[in-house]
Amino acid sequence: MSIEKTDSSYDLLYRSFKERIAQLETLPKMDESNSIERAIEEKGFSRRDFMKWAGMMTAVLSLPSSFTPLMAEAIKVADRLPIVWLHMAECTGCSESLLRSAEPTIDSLIFDYISLEYHETLMAAAGWQAEQNLEGAIEKYKGRYILMVEGGIPTGNAGAYLTIGGHAKKGKDIAYEASEHAAAIFAIGTCSAFGGVQAAVPNPTGAVGLSEITHKPVINVPGCPPSEKNIVGTLLHYILYGTLPALDAYNRPKWAYRNRIHDLCERRGHFDAGEFVEQFGDAGAKEGYCLYKVGCKGPYTFNNCSKNKFNQGTSWPVQVGFGCMGCSEPDFWDTMGVVGEPLSEKLYNTTFSGMGADATADKIGVTLLSATVVGIAAHAVISTIKKPKE
Amino acid sequence: MQIKQLIEKIEGEAELDFTLSHGRVEDVTINFGFYRGIEEILVGKHLLDALVITPRVCGICNHAHLIASVRAIEDGYQKAGVEVALSPKAKGIREFTLSCELIQNHMKWFYLTILPQLERLVGAETGENYALKASYLSSTITKALALFAGQWPHSSYAVPGGVTCDPTYVEVMQAQSLLDETIRFFEEVVIGMPFECYLARDKALHLQEIAGDFGRLLGLMEREGMGEVGQSHDRFIVFGEEIFFRSGKSMATTVSGVDVRYVEEAIQQGSYAKAVSYKQRLYEVGPLARAMVAKEPMVKSLHKYYKDSLLTRIFSRVHEVVRLLDYSKTLLQNLRLDEPSATLPTLPKLDSLEGVGVVEAARGSLIHRTRVVEGHITQYDIIVPTQWNLSHGNALERGIAIEAMVGSETIEKASFIFKSFDICSVCTTQ
Ligand code: SF4
Repeated sequence: MSIEKTDSSYDLLYRSFKERIAQLETLPKMDESNSIERAIEEKGFSRRDFMKWAGMMTAVLSLPSSFTPLMAEAIKVADRLPIVWLHMAECTGCSESLLRSAEPTIDSLIFDYISLEYHETLMAAAGWQAEQNLEGAIEKYKGRYILMVEGGIPTGNAGAYLTIGGHAKKGKDIAYEASEHAAAIFAIGTCSAFGGVQAAVPNPTGAVGLSEITHKPVINVPGCPPSEKNIVGTLLHYILYGTLPALDAYNRPKWAYRNRIHDLCERRGHFDAGEFVEQFGDAGAKEGYCLYKVGCKGPYTFNNCSKNKFNQGTSWPVQVGFGCMGCSEPDFWDTMGVVGEPLSEKLYNTTFSGMGADATADKIGVTLLSATVVGIAAHAVISTIKKPKE
Repeated sequence: MQIKQLIEKIEGEAELDFTLSHGRVEDVTINFGFYRGIEEILVGKHLLDALVITPRVCGICNHAHLIASVRAIEDGYQKAGVEVALSPKAKGIREFTLSCELIQNHMKWFYLTILPQLERLVGAETGENYALKASYLSSTITKALALFAGQWPHSSYAVPGGVTCDPTYVEVMQAQSLLDETIRFFEEVVIGMPFECYLARDKALHLQEIAGDFGRLLGLMEREGMGEVGQSHDRFIVFGEEIFFRSGKSMATTVSGVDVRYVEEAIQQGSYAKAVSYKQRLYEVGPLARAMVAKEPMVKSLHKYYKDSLLTRIFSRVHEVVRLLDYSKTLLQNLRLDEPSATLPTLPKLDSLEGVGVVEAARGSLIHRTRVVEGHITQYDIIVPTQWNLSHGNALERGIAIEAMVGSETIEKASFIFKSFDICSVCTTQ
């Protein structure tokens, strides 16, 4: 395969990916009689669709387009890495968003195909058998499987708020055991990453994020729901690099959560021009003005929603005029405050209090943030003085 | 004899404890080992926060929770003397998005639960991967939903007084073409006949005329005598008034009015789910109930022969999809984009209010009750459809789903009847 690159600094990376893929190739497949290529073909995707998708994922991971063929190769060896998907305390929205509401896109096919040794909402086996499948999968793929967990972990009342399976095992014990023998652990969605809605004050069930109950490193892929691209991207990243990605202060992969919603927002021009929606349904709303004053938390939220959007790129909350609620930040239910009201001066009692002091990973982000806060205050003043545009 | 059975794939899991005697199911207890405490979490939050917290109750009927919570606030305002008049556009958009959510739910239930499980139950497996059909249908229609609601699941675009989106003709056209595609797929694959033909029937319809996967399902059910099993108390209730749904209760041959004030909740032993009743009696909710209360001709004629059997219950849910698709088309055609999206210029600063929001969710009537003091929620009750259908029952009678399962010859049949109610575990216990 010929490699065309303009930047030679990628040479090393390219070679290491190739080595990694070759290494994975030597591992046994999950199902010798099948392959991802065939599965994709069977579902009616052409090679062109597949390459298009690989190109998109390459871009998602901020790699140069010359890596596209490698991405395609990587996905073909993905079936060497079985996935165990666990449901904890949750609404099932994450897998709805990834697996069921996604059209049979290549994203969901890949998940469908690479194992899902234990995914309750998907698998046909029920009850006792599901439980055996989980134990079997952990035993069989010890030290090799990727663990994906959806939902928060209730720890209150000795974990009694979530019992699963015929032996009424506690959710937290299942998650702990599955974490012990996993090669990599991804917390999918805000619940699993930070405890989520059930962990909001007063946290009746003592729900916590997965990282609180295991001593092993957990990569957080928050969002309520998270974008399917971020989930698949995290997986592909692991396949290619064989290591954990660069993470921010909250263990979120930087390639996805590096920027604030505000940085890449389509309404940003209006923010900069001091043009705000003052009330839902006003003239500014019709013009698509900035939603800061009606409660958008985009300036404090790190995620790439404006790029990925939802429902296969159809739309996202800012596009329909509601604004960002901060769903990929820890404890946003309590700290980001009221829907429909700006955070403005309340900022320092929030998620980010204290962050400034120990800003290690996100130093730059935080500095930018404070600059923005000043900007917002200034804009807010300007726009109250300025007459609303005709 | 006692047998425990775990039921999965119902947005979480439930445990059914069957008591068998003389080869038949004699009694069943339904338990959920799962609790998150959403109602407790709502206490102390700002009244508007319910708009984003309550949808997280459920990943599959989240939009209905959004609508119930926004209506509870609007109702509170109105009771306090603030007029809330939605523009026809806002009303139409809310109905359209709600219809989309109902359609995706019903079709997932049909393809992921009912059809494959029936095939397994009666030994008529085709080996087809129905998940693909389910996800194609549901993703197409949820895209149409997301055009107005920003995303699904967990949309937030409905606010007191209307909606935040300001669609242009481009979005409406996109929604129309997504809807057309859903209808095309539905005609070709699900019912195997043109929409108009299907809708032109009323009671004269012979089920045999329906082809496609739905036809196959109906054929199998008739062959297996499923019009004779799964009957419950034959009593139905509906609280929502929207789309073509009418509120009321249906008993024997009469339909009469209802008042949401008489809905009561009670704690049940050994389960995180609460029971719910209307004037101390149990009622079935859901598509069958909606059709019975609205006297929908096709369902009524089926009911005449088969009562509230498994066949009637399953038929009603898929039948509702046809009518929803048809209705959604008209909704889009009638949208007047020059009307305002949200009509409350400023949200009234009310110290205290109390409101009730009702919506017809996929599985039946969903009720939110909010009490607000000094701008903060002091009490919030969420009564979900599955609670009606899965109550344990009281001294007088068994719960709806339990009554339907009693008498089954096998646990597998009973579990299938259980699933015909389209159970949602995460909603039931919250
Ligand atoms: S405040 Fe919100 S709507 Fe405004 S530019 Fe920032 S992210 Fe976009």
